[in-house]
Amino acid sequence: MDGKLVKRLFKVGALAGLVALYFSLDESTRRYLVHIGKQVPYLPYRYFI
Amino acid sequence: MDYDAVVIGAGLGGLSCAANLARSGFRTLVLENTGQVGGCCSSYDHQGYRFDIGASVVELAWVIDELFRRLGRRTEDYIDFVPVDPIYGFVTADGRRFSYPVSVEETRQVIARFSEEDARSWERFAAVGSEAINFAFGKVMTESMGSLKDMMRVAAANPKLAKYLKYMVLNFESVLCKFFKSDTVRASMSLQSYFIGLPPALCPGYVAFLAYSEHEGIFYPRGGMIAIPQGIASAFREFGGEIRFNSRVVKVLTEGKRVRGVELADGTSIEANIVVSNVNAKVLYLELVGEERLPAWAKRAIRSYKVSIPAPMIMLGLDSRPDLDAHHTFCYATLEEMNRIWFEDYLNNRVPDGGFMLISWPTHADPSLAPEGHHCLNLVSFAPYHLAEGDWDSYKERYLETMLGLLERNFGLRLRDHIQVAKVNTPKDFERMLLHPEGAVYGLQNDITCTAAFRPGVRSRVFQGLYLTGASTHLGGGIAPTVGSGIVASEFILRDFG
Repeated sequence: MDGKLVKRLFKVGALAGLVALYFSLDESTRRYLVHIGKQVPYLPYRYFI
Repeated sequence: MDYDAVVIGAGLGGLSCAANLARSGFRTLVLENTGQVGGCCSSYDHQGYRFDIGASVVELAWVIDELFRRLGRRTEDYIDFVPVDPIYGFVTADGRRFSYPVSVEETRQVIARFSEEDARSWERFAAVGSEAINFAFGKVMTESMGSLKDMMRVAAANPKLAKYLKYMVLNFESVLCKFFKSDTVRASMSLQSYFIGLPPALCPGYVAFLAYSEHEGIFYPRGGMIAIPQGIASAFREFGGEIRFNSRVVKVLTEGKRVRGVELADGTSIEANIVVSNVNAKVLYLELVGEERLPAWAKRAIRSYKVSIPAPMIMLGLDSRPDLDAHHTFCYATLEEMNRIWFEDYLNNRVPDGGFMLISWPTHADPSLAPEGHHCLNLVSFAPYHLAEGDWDSYKERYLETMLGLLERNFGLRLRDHIQVAKVNTPKDFERMLLHPEGAVYGLQNDITCTAAFRPGVRSRVFQGLYLTGASTHLGGGIAPTVGSGIVASEFILRDFG
């Protein structure tokens, strides 16, 4: 296997792990994480004001 | 220069900063839009009754002591605090009543009536809460948390913070459910999430420990909540500070990347190298500084914040003692109901017709706030700024009726036969009186992504000489965090200009 394929498999595995982890959480925690997640793109801007 | 420093707004943050600056020899002027000090922590007299405008009690009072210590003064020479005990009385929809005293042990005994298992959990919760407040979260109130470097410095000085990181990842609801099994006990501690303006599902987990922090002692200042800012203002004046009332600032004057003073509504300009803003950060940057003078990234940052939830308040003067048991009575709802109110009512611009209410009874602690034998009550709930039908000015009377009806119907509390005076402060009124956009009582929404280094900085990174205090900077709303913001701002200024 070349390096690129290993990297790609690692990324897919990590993503699948995160998705599995997300669905193992209770509904309340999922809702909280989605709420927080929506604001993550603004953090770099907020940090500097 | 007319003054060394101009402070916009005589709220707790602005006054705390101003007093520290005046003590250090800065010629300091505070410009206040209204005719009195305090902002959200204030009171006013109406037909013989003194009503509080917003804040109704003080916890983490050590922050106020710390301010006076820095001023070389003693709190007790300026403010007479009355201990409040019990902390809460509770009224449930099925008519049950109980109270939580300040004593952790006595509260354990009350909880044991509902669940022995939860009584044991309360002991663990109190132990974790005590450590979290005294050795971790409480410590950050008077420390700058405006950058990752600051946060790491504070974390290094308080290694126990690391232990509590999980409570930042979990939400409020999960933390309560992790400790307590009984719906009654969970519900009794559910209100604290709304103290930072969020429902239990969206509120950061560490806020759950507010339910413990009140057991460290809560206080009410004799003379009403306005006694706190009045005490700080007295100390400020003793150091030569000046307060001008009914002076509305309409512009922060800038020159390049520096501030150079402020302009008032009557056209007067006041020059100063230091401008401290105690107004909401969105109002400061988008209106007083002006959106056109902000770089694109700063515009994007400030626009990304949502203002916090408004809290319409009903003030009642009664001709007799109300049938209540404590300074605060929480007419409570379950965790599910608290979430439902947010997701189904608040987000759809509806005033909740069920749910919860906090009743504050200031004359329980200080009878002198009303004529002899009479009492003052404040009814606080949460409701949207934008209404699906009509607006707040036309809804005012109906809101009063709705809330009185809710108390009678759901909680068996009949007040209307004894009402001598009734006044409603709507989110619109808060906006007009205190310049809180959309009546936001806690400044900006206080998510984990909008606090500390991710809340608008106490020391502006956009303009030199511009500093922020109050609920929309530092750690958010509440008496301790806003006084803390004033202390932090003054420390920055002394470092930059001292």
